[in-house]
Amino acid sequence: MKILPLIAISTLISSPALAEEVRQLDAHEHGVGHLDIAFEGQQIAMQLHAPGADIVGFEYEAKTAEDRTSIDSAVAKLAQPLTLFVLPEAAQCSVVQASAALESEEEHHDHGAHDDHAADHGHEDHDDHAADHGHKDHDKHGEDHAHDHDAHAASHSEFHAEYLLTCADPAAASEITFAYFDAFPNARELEIQMISESGATAFEVSRDSPILDLRGMF
Amino acid sequence: MIFRLAFCSMAARALTVTMTVIAIALSVALFLGVEKVRTGAKASFADTISGTDLIVGARSGSVQLLLYSVFRIGNATNNLTWESYSDIAARPEVDWIVPISLGDSHRQFRVMGTTTEFFERYKYRSGRSLTLGDGAIMSDLFDAVIGADVAATLNYNVGDPIVVAHGLASFTNHDDQPFRISGILEKTGTPVDRTVIVSLRAIEAIHVDWASGARIQGQSTPVEVIRQMDLQPQAVTAALIGVNSRLQVFSLQRAINEYPQEPLLAILPGVALQELWQIVGIAETALIAVSSMVIITALIGMMATIFSSLNERRREMAIFRAMGARPRIVLGMLVLEATLMAALGAALGLLLLYAGLVVAQPMVDRAFGLWLPIEAPTLRELWVLLGVVAAGAIVSLIPALRAYRMSLADGMMVRI
Repeated sequence: MKILPLIAISTLISSPALAEEVRQLDAHEHGVGHLDIAFEGQQIAMQLHAPGADIVGFEYEAKTAEDRTSIDSAVAKLAQPLTLFVLPEAAQCSVVQASAALESEEEHHDHGAHDDHAADHGHEDHDDHAADHGHKDHDKHGEDHAHDHDAHAASHSEFHAEYLLTCADPAAASEITFAYFDAFPNARELEIQMISESGATAFEVSRDSPILDLRGMF
Repeated sequence: MIFRLAFCSMAARALTVTMTVIAIALSVALFLGVEKVRTGAKASFADTISGTDLIVGARSGSVQLLLYSVFRIGNATNNLTWESYSDIAARPEVDWIVPISLGDSHRQFRVMGTTTEFFERYKYRSGRSLTLGDGAIMSDLFDAVIGADVAATLNYNVGDPIVVAHGLASFTNHDDQPFRISGILEKTGTPVDRTVIVSLRAIEAIHVDWASGARIQGQSTPVEVIRQMDLQPQAVTAALIGVNSRLQVFSLQRAINEYPQEPLLAILPGVALQELWQIVGIAETALIAVSSMVIITALIGMMATIFSSLNERRREMAIFRAMGARPRIVLGMLVLEATLMAALGAALGLLLLYAGLVVAQPMVDRAFGLWLPIEAPTLRELWVLLGVVAAGAIVSLIPALRAYRMSLADGMMVRI
């Protein structure tokens, strides 16, 4: 344990290092997601940012196989924008591009590690792993991470999704019906920013009134 | 027949009827006036900026950033460093970017430092550009372009010298750097009318001898030397951005909001306006409620006068009945009278509103920079008027039903 010299060195270095460090966190309100919609010609671009609590009901790092399964299925659901944000048939919209991912508000290298982890182990591998080693190993693994968590404050996680749609007749897109609230029972409302030919505006859509009127945006 | 009866009986009680009509007219005019001011204020705010996709400033609140950068209301909490500004300007999504530097003043008008591109990029009333009424935009370091209200209030012409002060309510004038008015803008009905526009480098030049806001003793840099200086600004107050494609607006907004080196905020003007309306909405609702109450009060007053007239008119009703009028007719006549009064009140209210607008329009414009358009009544206003007439009819039903019952029971012999 050569910890003493380490401490000595770290105290010498830490002050400039601290000055370099950037500390900022986004606002994060459970139950409230953000959706940005941009209309340009026949294209519609959307960005969704929703707290983990809304989508899967928890924000800690996935501990069990069950947690991972629910995250994976949520990501799969989020990757299908037209089933969550239903546009009228007449607009004839189709998905050009859709991507969804879970990001946790921890330090970025940490976050990268999760991604690798997910990539390395994947689903099948993971099941094997669970079968081979049983739960103990898992719990240990979880504990290790719990330490990590104590080092940071309580972490939040957010699901991010980006979509690009193309519509044959965007003017026929008179409303959006938010099946999103049916898909994710913990989500309460979405704050919407929208920009189109006629300028930018903001709306709120909630579970009680899940329809957004787009007339006058074109 | 029944119309004639109603008219004649109203004419017979001209004084009370007139009073009732005037009360209704005033209440209607008040309600419509409040609506006009409310929608006028909203429209003039919404028309102030268009064609700008994002406004960037120091991280504060979106409403605050909008208010100080566009409406010159309040002050910036922080500035935006030139490094960050350049970083943002270099991003591929950015089509154009116009910096804005605020903080100096001339008399009671704000001075804004910006680039000449501002005149091309700033749009108002869904896409109108700024036009010069006289002169040209800044070409020299010490040129200033002034808004229409500045020129009108201070009686300035192109070529006049102008002295720019530091800070808003300042006692010291930067009188060693005389600016010259190079152009005067046409009136726009936006805060630009009340702004003195100079170049960013000019803002720096003003402050050459003004370390920490007070003149350094015994030092006054000659104008020639200042012209040779590198007047690169260290910071700007905010920046207006246009993007290449609307599809990139939100990505750029997020990138700026998460910019690691400096806490910045990017807003969509329209979205920030919506937030502002949410805040103002409470006061709006209160205003609408109060003016609705005034209308209701006037209608209740009308009901009271009809009630009090019933006793006087008992004999009249009885005579009608003897002549063979059905109780229905009696009821109908009273309701018709009330409806006519309400309709007259509504029409007179509308007239009062337009008379008031003609008188108040220039005054409101001068005092608040708020232009209330005089135009035909909107559909919503017509609905309000119709509502007043309908409410008058409904309210009058109460005394009319009483008259109906009385006229059934009353014979010719009226006990008085």
